[in-house]
Amino acid sequence: MINCRTSKDRMIEALYGELGPSEKERFDEHMRSCQECASEYSVLGATLRLMDKRERPDPGPEFWDGYWDRLSRRKVWEEAGEAPRTSIGARLVRALSGIPRWSYQAAGAAALLLVGILIGSRLITPPAPVSTATRGAVESGAVMQAGNFIERSKILLLGLVNYDSATEDAYAFDLGRKKTMSRELAAEAPAIRSALNERGQKRLRDLVSDLELIMMQIANLGSGQDVEGVEFIKQGVDRRGIFFKIDLDRMGRDARSSVDPASPAGGTKLPKKNKI
Amino acid sequence: MDERSLIEGMARGDRAAFQEFVEQYKKKVYYLALDMAGNPVDAEDISQEVFLKVFRSFATFRKDAKLGSWLYRVTYNASIDHLRRKKFVPEPVGDDVLESRSQEDAGLPPRGAMDPALAAESSLLQARISKALENVSPQEKAVFLLRHYDDLMLKDIASSLGLSIGSVKSYLFRAVRKLQKELGGSPLISGVEASHD
Repeated sequence: MINCRTSKDRMIEALYGELGPSEKERFDEHMRSCQECASEYSVLGATLRLMDKRERPDPGPEFWDGYWDRLSRRKVWEEAGEAPRTSIGARLVRALSGIPRWSYQAAGAAALLLVGILIGSRLITPPAPVSTATRGAVESGAVMQAGNFIERSKILLLGLVNYDSATEDAYAFDLGRKKTMSRELAAEAPAIRSALNERGQKRLRDLVSDLELIMMQIANLGSGQDVEGVEFIKQGVDRRGIFFKIDLDRMGRDARSSVDPASPAGGTKLPKKNKI
Repeated sequence: MDERSLIEGMARGDRAAFQEFVEQYKKKVYYLALDMAGNPVDAEDISQEVFLKVFRSFATFRKDAKLGSWLYRVTYNASIDHLRRKKFVPEPVGDDVLESRSQEDAGLPPRGAMDPALAAESSLLQARISKALENVSPQEKAVFLLRHYDDLMLKDIASSLGLSIGSVKSYLFRAVRKLQKELGGSPLISGVEASHD
């Protein structure tokens, strides 16, 4: 027969079935004879049964399927001595998933305000004359690459925002293909952002960041048609004034290419037909 | 690929073996990091750090040791380092927060998957459990998580975390007692308590 102290020492092992047969027999014998220990044992057991009901949020198959790729990218970055450990877009997407709806509305209002300031600054401050050297830097390969990225993202987004689940054929919409393309675009974005950063292209880089975030949201949409998710993304595109920013960027590049006809800025034409 | 082949492959620096290793253990590492750090962004960051560290320092792994135990230890240490870097101070969650927590916040199935009353009750329970776990120290929490959710024997936890079995039992007992106190108002536990009054 064991005493109360020994029984308490063995409670955890008893609860998890780690007592040997003879120890378990002595433990049970004590439980039958000591109501205080039996009560404590019973309450601890109930606590563990309650903890069995705990649920851990599954990040979903997209997360697990892409885990190795993200890890490999980070390994490459670390070996190259670069900073971006987890992409800002990815962190934002995952961080945003736990934020209440009102904060999106507040962020939307702030974004509108920022867009207002941006328009104001463009209207009030005339653009500084662009020197040949600056133009050369601006219209560099990185900017061309960004332009191409932006146009491809725009085409994809146009297909998404113009889709009406009530009237259009879900098969023709083909969300699966859009998710694949979004994933590819999102994967391209970090390198473009990094190149733009080096060239001080803050506005363009921010637009690429915005698009990267949206591409990741599309890539992470649920299976099936995920009408709710698509609606959420449409609202985000609207709130952030994405098309307006894309048009501003396009106008800026067109203006620069008219100053310098040799500039490659005019080279990124919007395809005539949306084939997505 | 069995554990022995995996270890040999990784020792040779074989990329396929490393990928296989990541695929086998990514969920365990991620969930332990998630439970320790408390949010999915940090959990992925920590889990990636763990795998990269394993990749870089595999030469220090004793070939006769258990790969899983070593990995748990690296994950635990990375999580503790992360909490230290963030100067983690558990913030008590007020009842108003618990009341307002949505079903999605608690990581429950999508709306419509269960009866609304049951869903609300389940959501509240998840919030209470999360709050209870926040009030357990990192060491106690790690021991509890490994025993309760990863089903590691006490001796394996001791080996993983570099503790004595006595310490593991002590941490685990304290963790369960703290959880019981935090969850004391739950009908399931208070029902048991009442039945012994």
